[in-house]
Amino acid sequence: MSGKTGGAARRDEPVDVLIIGAGPSGAVAARALAAAGVSVVALEQGHWLDANDFPGRRREYELVAQKRWHPNPNVRDLPRDYPVETSASDINPLMYAAVGGSTTLYAGHWTPFLPSDFRVKTLDGIADDWPFTYEDLLPALEEIEREVGVSGLPGNPAYPPQRAFPTPPLPIGKAGQKAVEGLDKLGWHWWPGTNAIPSLPHNGLNPCARRGTCMTGCPEGAKSTVNITFWPHAIRDGARLVTGARVREIEVNERGLATGAVYIDENGRERRQRASVVIVCANGIGTPRLLLLSRSARFPEGLANRSGLVGRRLMMHPFSAVLGVFEDELDGWVGPFGQLVESFEFYETDTSRGFVRGAKWGAMPGGGPLGVTSFVGSQIFAADEGARVEDAWGENLHNLVARRFNHCLVYGIIGEDLPENSNRVVLDPDLTDSDGIPAPKLLYKVSENSHAMLRFHVARCTEAVEAAGAIETVVVHQVRDTGWHLLGTCRMGEDPATSVVDPWGRTHDVPNLFIFDGSTFPTSGGVNPTATIMSVALRQVRHLIAGRRLQEAA
Amino acid sequence: MTLTDADRAKFAALADRLIPAYRNMPAASAVDVQHAMLDLALQARPELAEDFARGLAACSAETPSESINALFRQDHAAFGAVNLMAVAAYYMTDEVRRLIGYPGQESPPYDPHETPGYLLDGSLERVVRRGPLYRPTPR
Repeated sequence: MSGKTGGAARRDEPVDVLIIGAGPSGAVAARALAAAGVSVVALEQGHWLDANDFPGRRREYELVAQKRWHPNPNVRDLPRDYPVETSASDINPLMYAAVGGSTTLYAGHWTPFLPSDFRVKTLDGIADDWPFTYEDLLPALEEIEREVGVSGLPGNPAYPPQRAFPTPPLPIGKAGQKAVEGLDKLGWHWWPGTNAIPSLPHNGLNPCARRGTCMTGCPEGAKSTVNITFWPHAIRDGARLVTGARVREIEVNERGLATGAVYIDENGRERRQRASVVIVCANGIGTPRLLLLSRSARFPEGLANRSGLVGRRLMMHPFSAVLGVFEDELDGWVGPFGQLVESFEFYETDTSRGFVRGAKWGAMPGGGPLGVTSFVGSQIFAADEGARVEDAWGENLHNLVARRFNHCLVYGIIGEDLPENSNRVVLDPDLTDSDGIPAPKLLYKVSENSHAMLRFHVARCTEAVEAAGAIETVVVHQVRDTGWHLLGTCRMGEDPATSVVDPWGRTHDVPNLFIFDGSTFPTSGGVNPTATIMSVALRQVRHLIAGRRLQEAA
Repeated sequence: MTLTDADRAKFAALADRLIPAYRNMPAASAVDVQHAMLDLALQARPELAEDFARGLAACSAETPSESINALFRQDHAAFGAVNLMAVAAYYMTDEVRRLIGYPGQESPPYDPHETPGYLLDGSLERVVRRGPLYRPTPR
């Protein structure tokens, strides 16, 4: 890496660093590298989206949320999505191909990993410790939080003390206050929700408008995504971002060094981007898929896969939801969505519960009228074959909407998923994307530990909504479409025999190939991971920049 | 897809089986689900057009109850499309939204600097007083 190149590289001109994927980790890396004067090209299979693309201001918002803006790429079935074969998986993976990646549709819960998440082996005797600690990562986290514009209240006793968030907390609303009533009565932990949604104008973001449509993209330009907060800075500093570019293979030379990538552009033409260093940031499914696609005589089992661990240890956070219905009106359509209130009461391990590790709860509003008839309320309409339509719908539908719409609070439970070699990403022998590139296939079973954990948490969550006065509760156990958090498939560690990348994200097998996304996570925590993904990416890229004069390159 | 007046009338009859008048709520056809809102719903979900058309073709306007029940038993995809179009169109109408108190996804104003109630009523203080929950990094 020369670090001397100024200005944006022209198409296909060799560069210092090629980044594959323009989501949170790729954007963090691009911005830091460009600011350091390193020439950068990023290839992104999706496109730029504008706030006006998102449907939240439109009457048909709830209807398109179930298809065009659904987080499952197999449901959306857009040309820029790659399909994922899921017949052997208990959970469907969720993602979005665009500048900003899957955060385009995320809820923006900002929940950094806790100290124990980095020391699972030492504290609980299972899985693995991370090669660094919470305290090691904290400076990067605090820096990221300033850029992201996190809203929240400092002093949460679930976390060690840290720097205050850059914007005040969002209102918890009537639904959040209802959650508080129950948790307060039980003496359980709660805290006003910390979100990647600023309450004041911040770094190109508008303040949250509480529209409540976060999960179909924010039409207010208020949810923090890197297409707003990072890429404009990176591009201003000279980074070049190529969209509609689907990478097929990372190439290596006779010395075993990465030389760049072959990609298919929007016109179906095959192109080649050469670089001294390659960084993969394509998420816990896209990254192992690409490495497994990049087979060669030197790497017959896939690039950087001498450990055999590429694609293994997939973690997706099994998820359950508890819905509480109340007499009071709760303004169920008012955001953020986003978490209004969070609870870490049962986050840390207590082996008397029959499982290890724990889960975080996020309280959210109930949503619009179509949502209460089709999401958590879907069980109501599971009429058997002999039922009459008029009995299953009809007055029943009116009663359901009258009872639940505007009267709901939903707890989402995110439990730690432990790594297992048998949960993995492989290449499907038949299925391909729209460019003919083999699609990934998931082999994934929810573990007994996760089953027990979610049962326990559902029971406690039910107690929490009942303590708040719920007149009806509904449990949706292990929702299938909840594989938001794609982690673990290129494990980070010191030992090349048991990990894919070293503690700085460099692959053990290819010294100029790096992975900075959530696939490197040794364990998954029991929280939404974007805060930690971005912080780890910043930590790793800073190390790469600091050592760039010594960096081996093709 | 192009719908004839007869198609719309048939859809209205089927929709009324799914969403009849009840207490203060009107039947589906009473809020005209079969016109502008059906068009909007179909436009929003073009992938359902084929299932919807098949469902409509399989049903009779004269025997809507028998038709919709037969469709439910025999063609889940077509029934699903007809059902979703009816329910979505119904809850997109101004009148139904007014009756259930739904203004649509709005952006209510708020003051981010206002002191939240949980800081005034002592409830958050009780959380703080219970002390840290996290397990520190082992040394």
